[in-house]
Amino acid sequence: MANSKPLQIIYGDGTLGVTGPNCHYIFNYSRGGLESLVYAGKEWLYREPKPTFWRASTDNDRGNGFPQKASQWLGAELFSVVKEIALQVNQKPISLPLAPANNRYTAQEFAEEIQISFTYKTSTVPTTQVTVTYTVRSTGQLHVQAHYHGNHQLPELPRFGLEFVMPTLATGFKYAGLSGETYPDRMAGGVSGTYQIQGLPVTPYLVPQDNGIHMASHWLQISRQSTKDNSDLNRIPFQLKFSQGQKPFAFSALPYTALELENASHQEDLPLPRRTVVTILGAVRGVGGIDSWGADVAPAYRIPGDQDIIFDFNIAGV
Amino acid sequence: MSQQNQHQPNLKWLDDPQVFRVNALPAHSDHCWYRSSQEAAAQQSSFRKSLNGHWQFNYAKDPRQISQNFAEVTFDSSNWDDIQVPGLIEFAGYHKFHYINTLYPWEGHHFRRPAFTTASKQDAQGQFSQAPDNPVGQYRKHFHVPVAWQNQTVRVRFEGVQTAMYLWLNGHFLGYAEDSFSPHEFDLTPYLAKDDNVLAVAVFNASTASYLEDQDMFRFFGIFRDVTLLAQPQVHLEDISLRPVPSSDLQSGTLTIQAQTVGTLAGVTAAVAVKDATGKSLWQTVTSLDQIQSGILAQTTFQQIRLWSNDEPYLYQLQITLHDATGHVLEVIPMVFGFRRIEINSNKVMLLNGQRLIIKGVNRHEWNATSGRVITSANMDQDIAIMKANNINAVRTSHYPNHLTWYDRCDQQGIYVMAENNLESHGTWQKLGVVEPSDNVPGNLSQWQAAVLDRAQNNYQWLKNHTSILWWSLGNESYAGTDIAAMETYYKQQDPSRLVHYEGVFHRPEFKNRISDLESRMYASPDEIETYLQNNPSKPFILCEYMHSMGNSVGGLQNYMILLTKYPMFQGGFIWDFIDQAIAVKDEISGQTVFRYGGDFDDRPSDYAFSGDGLLFADRTEKPAMQEVRYYYGKF
Repeated sequence: MANSKPLQIIYGDGTLGVTGPNCHYIFNYSRGGLESLVYAGKEWLYREPKPTFWRASTDNDRGNGFPQKASQWLGAELFSVVKEIALQVNQKPISLPLAPANNRYTAQEFAEEIQISFTYKTSTVPTTQVTVTYTVRSTGQLHVQAHYHGNHQLPELPRFGLEFVMPTLATGFKYAGLSGETYPDRMAGGVSGTYQIQGLPVTPYLVPQDNGIHMASHWLQISRQSTKDNSDLNRIPFQLKFSQGQKPFAFSALPYTALELENASHQEDLPLPRRTVVTILGAVRGVGGIDSWGADVAPAYRIPGDQDIIFDFNIAGV
Repeated sequence: MSQQNQHQPNLKWLDDPQVFRVNALPAHSDHCWYRSSQEAAAQQSSFRKSLNGHWQFNYAKDPRQISQNFAEVTFDSSNWDDIQVPGLIEFAGYHKFHYINTLYPWEGHHFRRPAFTTASKQDAQGQFSQAPDNPVGQYRKHFHVPVAWQNQTVRVRFEGVQTAMYLWLNGHFLGYAEDSFSPHEFDLTPYLAKDDNVLAVAVFNASTASYLEDQDMFRFFGIFRDVTLLAQPQVHLEDISLRPVPSSDLQSGTLTIQAQTVGTLAGVTAAVAVKDATGKSLWQTVTSLDQIQSGILAQTTFQQIRLWSNDEPYLYQLQITLHDATGHVLEVIPMVFGFRRIEINSNKVMLLNGQRLIIKGVNRHEWNATSGRVITSANMDQDIAIMKANNINAVRTSHYPNHLTWYDRCDQQGIYVMAENNLESHGTWQKLGVVEPSDNVPGNLSQWQAAVLDRAQNNYQWLKNHTSILWWSLGNESYAGTDIAAMETYYKQQDPSRLVHYEGVFHRPEFKNRISDLESRMYASPDEIETYLQNNPSKPFILCEYMHSMGNSVGGLQNYMILLTKYPMFQGGFIWDFIDQAIAVKDEISGQTVFRYGGDFDDRPSDYAFSGDGLLFADRTEKPAMQEVRYYYGKF
């Protein structure tokens, strides 16, 4: 029997499943986060998206001692954990329906909107919180908001955003924003437009470092053609689209995490590319350039630790 | 002392800063000469013969292991290796690559102090000539001179040999030279054989010149630029000095041609012709050379001139043809010149052609990832094209004279050149980030002054006719003292048409009235620049190095650019730098071509990736930051 409410909810024992038009989401209570994001039958996540704080140190960062000052964020990048999960169904908060409370549901549960938020405790001293809120709307579109809670005892951040690791290599991406690699203090030369990029190019700096940021982007469409599903031999390209919420976002689409880049001293030290790492950023630190042995990034392009950062964006299949 | 008529080589010259050239011909203008106007049009001179190519080579690990008598014609070199000239000994696989910044390359291996500083006499003696860490490249080259050159004076030109070279022809000692980045010529005529000739060269990795050549770069040695034989007709213009000077209103201009002649001048005439850029004849004259050994060959005024600039690099064409008494052509010399005026006005603003000049510049090392400082014409063409495409209007030849044809390209394309001397001695005064000049050279040391003046002279004499050169730069990071002040005096005496630049006087303000027309800094922050400009500045301000493009950088360019609109005396600068200096190698594991930097060759101590500061990657692809440079440099 058809239901007028578009989202079907599966109140599981370990997860919350949400089925919408041509899409399916699984939120995992114990792992903390969005474990599965499927559009048109294709899985888009390798692991749960997580807040990202660290960027692979640039030569300028190293020169002015920024990594030493910010090193807590490297720990936070690796070891922050979810401490709290909150759920709203049709914009009404409900207690997390863990067993046996979920016995009251059936196989026919529907809703207009589901919102689930995960609050991370950063492994910093002192600790602070990051809340990531996922809202599945009736269209099946996923809205994501990330909120960093500032603390005046915490150092400047290398960056703040959400990192999505996708199971296979993208064949390329398309975006609306500025040409080339841009940073907040190096974006005047970027030309607005829509750009199609082949593969996931890594800017081959002599020592691998943060690269590939695209500031002021309106949308980003990632294209893949393979999955990890052993029964899926289809190679027809499929896409996922990130689009701006209240404000344009910054992103990078690379085959490496910040830690993989940080660990390499040469391009040839980087591992064989096998996954796609999309980072959607609400705050980007500038690259600086006065010198490479002490001069910091100009104050306007640093990310203070004591101020809240809130940004949002949408995800949908194409 | 510049020694002439030395018939025996002496290894002790390596230890003595007072010996830096022996029997080398005086530096002169870089003009080319041809046997006919057809040759000149085709740029193929039958007076020239390249000696580039395969040479025989022997690597001696130190001076004691040199193959003796190797310059003799009869020496058996059949077991020697083959090496490519030009080429660097490191790239040929004989010697370890080594990159280091301020520290001298022997740091951590040998203790050395420059002669006449804190070094004892004993330490200075044999410091290089008997050093176990001073390898020697021994070269031999057989050649024939063309039949047409019989009875002509023939010289050999080495355009670049690092660091110190001894030269023989057919077993006869010809001379000695330092100053790695300037051409050196030696007269072959007295010992030239009709048929087979053997040129022999011993190239030492280090000498006292090493103290003056501490540039922050990979340290190489070898014959790394062209080697050429040059014959000359019975009468020849050895040196030409063009002085195109616009009138005060920049409407008209006077060209003065000075020349130095060699040969028997009786009856010889010089036909001088000037054409505009389209080939239209503007002026012709014929001068008898009878009375002119050295002096003004011709002079004229053009009533309407077109000025040379970055926007319109307008060049006039000059041809000088020497005829003998019977009217036969002796030589044809084509040159170009442009009219432009660089000056500082009463408001202490630097002007080019009466307009405030904004330097949208870049520092450039000569670099090729597969051959180091051996670069090709294609590399240079590409570099110029990249500069033009990205609104870069100026280049500083950091930190040594470049390939001669580089300046031709800059003339033609309107790139303003800061022509820098081959001088950098930061290892003698900049220690662990602190100014500590107790063993600084050249400083105030009389024993080092002639060597640096020789470098100034080489730079000036070879390059003086290039319109694109607006500034002579005394060197880089060499502190300051009376020796560098003497270099400034030399340029001022020689050349009223250009400005002189030197940054290092920043550390010795007491020399500011004697050194540098410009207030030059490196890596000053926008705030520091404003502080200077708001406090009764005495000189126009430029940044000889700024925006350190190491890795992912060049953020905040805007903060410099807005100063251009606020302060007329802020006149821009040169980004550090143009191209990453990294070496392309085949990765041992993956087989892919990869780029390696200092420390990757077991070279220690090193400054690792610090030579990777380009707007280009080492393979000449543009870094992403280039679009920012293009944008801001295009706005001003």
